[in-house]
Amino acid sequence: MIWVWIALAPILGGLVYGGERVLRARMQRRQGPPLLQPFYDMFKLLDKRTLIVHAPHALLAVAHFFVLWFTIAAIFLGWNLLYIIFLHLFAQLLLIVAGYSVRSVYSHIGSNRELLMVVAYEPILILVAVGLYLVSGSFEISQILKMDGYLTQLPLLFAALLMIVPIKVKKSPFDVGEAHQEIVGGVEIEYSGVFYEFLYMSRFLEYIFIYSFVYLFGGESHWLGAVLVAGVFLLVNLVDNATARVRPAQMVKIIYTVAMALAVLNLAGVLL
Amino acid sequence: MKFFTSFRKKSPWVLHYNAGSCNGCDIEILAALGPKFDLERFGVINTGNPKQSDIFLVTGPVTYRSRERLVELYSQIPEPKVVVAVGSCTATGGVFRGMYNVEDGIDRYIPVDVYVPGCAASPQLIIDALVKGLEVLEAKSKEIEKPFKLFGAIETIHNKLSRLGMAKKVEPHAKD
Repeated sequence: MIWVWIALAPILGGLVYGGERVLRARMQRRQGPPLLQPFYDMFKLLDKRTLIVHAPHALLAVAHFFVLWFTIAAIFLGWNLLYIIFLHLFAQLLLIVAGYSVRSVYSHIGSNRELLMVVAYEPILILVAVGLYLVSGSFEISQILKMDGYLTQLPLLFAALLMIVPIKVKKSPFDVGEAHQEIVGGVEIEYSGVFYEFLYMSRFLEYIFIYSFVYLFGGESHWLGAVLVAGVFLLVNLVDNATARVRPAQMVKIIYTVAMALAVLNLAGVLL
Repeated sequence: MKFFTSFRKKSPWVLHYNAGSCNGCDIEILAALGPKFDLERFGVINTGNPKQSDIFLVTGPVTYRSRERLVELYSQIPEPKVVVAVGSCTATGGVFRGMYNVEDGIDRYIPVDVYVPGCAASPQLIIDALVKGLEVLEAKSKEIEKPFKLFGAIETIHNKLSRLGMAKKVEPHAKD
């Protein structure tokens, strides 16, 4: 059963992404695209002529997607949280190398920003894992999901996680990595056709990745987890519609001062 | 594949290029993409990246400075692709017709599929043109489409290197 879910993970993420586009449209009082729009886009991309800059560049996008899929599989199978975080970091590094491997300046800037994003959110993700460990006594997701009361013991850590969700799903105010108006999508810029599709689908998997961290705070109760995910989903989209983009340096500064302080305070409170 | 062809018209991604327009048509395009006219309900995304777009929305008569970019952007869009010329300027040169720094219309450089009249073209007309363009897009094959004129090569004019065709204006239309 769990293998079916793993196989369907990109489709699940696509539905989330489609739902998000509808939700954002409704927030702006417009009709918005159909729910299945991401899949229409994917089918259309299969029908386009593909332009390849050079083979490793195209291949790194495919590798990025499959490593990310493996990460999602590890989450669904309930493996070690630290292992999952570093696996995700590896997928991210593949994308960054891909961005540096072509001569497009925008691609390089995109890679730089992608690195800055990793620098910003990675410590918080690890602190979240440490916080969950301190409460449950284990890094294994299957163990973490058997315990309860994360939200009461780690409220500030949850707030810190909330701050890095927009970075991961590339939403304002922290969408510096994509930034369509300035750097035209960053690392995505030189991809087209089938290979762009892999990046498009890996975006769906990123949604599942970061929202599963939110889900972990629900602990044993599936209902609490689902409510948390739905609430964070709404909040992130509301903030996305209401705010402008910050500069990359500002993003790192905000995360390192506010989110880091919240996380460390909470961990200190748990430890003492 | 035949199955995927039917999805072309469900997700047209748009590349918008201003070839020396007065910004009137660009504002109307943005209005069409905005909440009131909501082009996104047809699956339209304004990508801004030629390699990922299907529909090329061009505004403005082609100025000397912009023609090289126009051709370059056109040839970077992977097939199948559709060109929609927005506004009178793109069709005939409009109010700029006959000016010293302007080519009269984009169809001297790239093949155009849909013309939108109007100065500035209204958002309703732009939406109509996009929907018309989708029919063209679905009928197209994946054959490579070339611009009428390329600026890739280099020629020598008066002992100076110049991009091919940049030094002289293209021949005017037969009956001007």
